[in-house]
Amino acid sequence: MAGFFIARDAVSQASDVVVEIDGKPAYTFPIDRNRTLEVQGPFGKTIIEIRDRRVRIADVHCPNKLCMKQGWVSGGVIVCLPNRLVVFVGKGHGAKGVDAVAG
Amino acid sequence: MRNRFIFFFMIACMLPVFSCTKNKDAVYRKSRALMDTYVTISVVAGSGERAESAIDKAFLEIERFGHKVNFFSKDSEISLINREAGVKEVRVSPETMDLIKRAVSIAGKTGGAFDPTIGSVMKLWDFHEGIKPPDEEIRSALPLVNYRNVRIDEEKSTVFLEKKGMMLDLGGIAKGYAADLGVASLRKEGIASGIVAVAGDIRTFGLKPDGGLWNIGLRNPRQKDESDELIARMHLGGKAISTAGDYERFFMADGKRYHHLLDPSTGYPADCCRSVSVVSDEGVLSDAFSTAVFILGPDRGLSLLRQMDLDAVVVDKEGRIISTPGLKGKIEIEEND
Repeated sequence: MAGFFIARDAVSQASDVVVEIDGKPAYTFPIDRNRTLEVQGPFGKTIIEIRDRRVRIADVHCPNKLCMKQGWVSGGVIVCLPNRLVVFVGKGHGAKGVDAVAG
Repeated sequence: MRNRFIFFFMIACMLPVFSCTKNKDAVYRKSRALMDTYVTISVVAGSGERAESAIDKAFLEIERFGHKVNFFSKDSEISLINREAGVKEVRVSPETMDLIKRAVSIAGKTGGAFDPTIGSVMKLWDFHEGIKPPDEEIRSALPLVNYRNVRIDEEKSTVFLEKKGMMLDLGGIAKGYAADLGVASLRKEGIASGIVAVAGDIRTFGLKPDGGLWNIGLRNPRQKDESDELIARMHLGGKAISTAGDYERFFMADGKRYHHLLDPSTGYPADCCRSVSVVSDEGVLSDAFSTAVFILGPDRGLSLLRQMDLDAVVVDKEGRIISTPGLKGKIEIEEND
């Protein structure tokens, strides 16, 4: 059942939220539907919140919680290195109309 | 069942992010967490399979190199050199040797504004927890910062730090070098154009499928919201760009910003710039010179850039944007409030 749920979301035409675990894309969700996700990593659970077309790490079990401190993101990347978890937010995962961002 | 879906998403991820109607080439993009940051590689290829195979090989190359030069890993070649400082020379791999040689050479060209032996002072600061070390600790560690005390023996492939307590920290150059390694790996796989972005250290090569240059955004060092994320856009082909900014790792204390770009002559953060982005032919140059120009400040930094024939965009401490004449026609400044 979980598979159908993920597959349906993956074909959404809305801007995506892609969750990668250990370098491999694991889940894709539309950014236009509010939800709270729970993802398991080496340091335990990471709670990812999608709300009002923005994404944040709401809770994480790791030593420094840097990804939580990043706050809400509407385009770009949230990285939790200890959990080897990367959340890409938005189509192309970056700033408007550019191929990459320096800085 | 789960594995099938993961496989589906991996394929989905390699769908082109940008395609051209005139031919089959398209831009494919993939990211991975490597070198304590995230690396994004975009390539122009005829198929997702070809792109993914080349990108994965470049990731492996960057990962392998990253392990060797990781300041925080006790097993890295850099940590071994640091542990044996003042004791004995350490044999290193050709890449580590090459990177240290480049770092010491650039340190000389910048008059020590970029110094790869900043490690003994850098380790006193904790930018995550917001801890400023006592002044006395900085003062006593400062004599250990001097690139002239790195002894390199190319014949024996060894590196020796002459004083006990000295520490190499290649954080100001390794990511740019890794971007160069990524491009070399992609080219070996027959990829003629793309972008390797090791966090904000970017190396472009070739052109986009439509024959255009790559569009690179420059981050606004004082971003207020999503509308002013960029201060400028640049159009680059075959060039590298890196930014040193006071907004990357910092904490505020007593109304003052303490960031990770430490002046090797004082041990404290340099405060003449908000960000410096250097454009050059190699990631290793852009990375190290962006740090050096940030430390030197706009006046002395721009003079160094002229001397080295490099281009840059400097945001000074007042927020004024200065770009070098060589960037004329390649840069558009954003109109932020």
